[in-house]
Amino acid sequence: MKYLILVLMLVGCSTTVPVTSKFPEPPKYSLQTCPNLQLLKDESKLSEVATTVTINYSTYYECAVKNDGWIEWYQIQKHIYESVK
Amino acid sequence: MWILKFLPDWIFHGIFLVGLIGFAATYLFKYIPFPFIFVYRKPIQIASVLAIIFGTFMSGASYDNNAWEARVKEMEAKVAKAEVESKEANVKIDNKVQQQKTKIVEKQVVVKQYIDREVIKYDNSCVIPKEFVEVHNKAATK
Repeated sequence: MKYLILVLMLVGCSTTVPVTSKFPEPPKYSLQTCPNLQLLKDESKLSEVATTVTINYSTYYECAVKNDGWIEWYQIQKHIYESVK
Repeated sequence: MWILKFLPDWIFHGIFLVGLIGFAATYLFKYIPFPFIFVYRKPIQIASVLAIIFGTFMSGASYDNNAWEARVKEMEAKVAKAEVESKEANVKIDNKVQQQKTKIVEKQVVVKQYIDREVIKYDNSCVIPKEFVEVHNKAATK
């Protein structure tokens, strides 16, 4: 009888919480890596230099925008995660 | 707890109540004019005490189980809501990033047009030194 009581008391401890949350999906753009900057050709003309510099600045700003997007994504996801408690 | 899955809560309250009534009834046996019942007084008392213990334990377990189930449901609802919020946030960020990238590309096009229109005039008068190209390429390489 005492074993039966012991078993009944122990099964009371077997409660588990089967709730799992999935890791949030990242935004579509964010998994693309930043491209390399363009290089100047030997004997480049002034307009080619200006064009290459312009393209490189644009590349930087596109990458910066993606980075800012990641920061915003993290802050929002953190806020959402912390609200699930 | 497995037993709570197929037995309703009221069974355990009932067992507790039966145990209580049984235990109380054993004290009334001496007033009953059938002496043979009195012989079962001890076994009935023991069974009643066991029923009270089991009923109390299982009522507590059932209450605890219900509380956990409610918490699980609440958490599931919160997780589902969070997943929806997360997807909505992704769409917003995606749109915002796309808009900013479009602006950058538009600006690049305007600057390139200016280069092709104005800067190109100085191509022949301005010689780019080899050292300038080298230092630019060094800086642009990882």
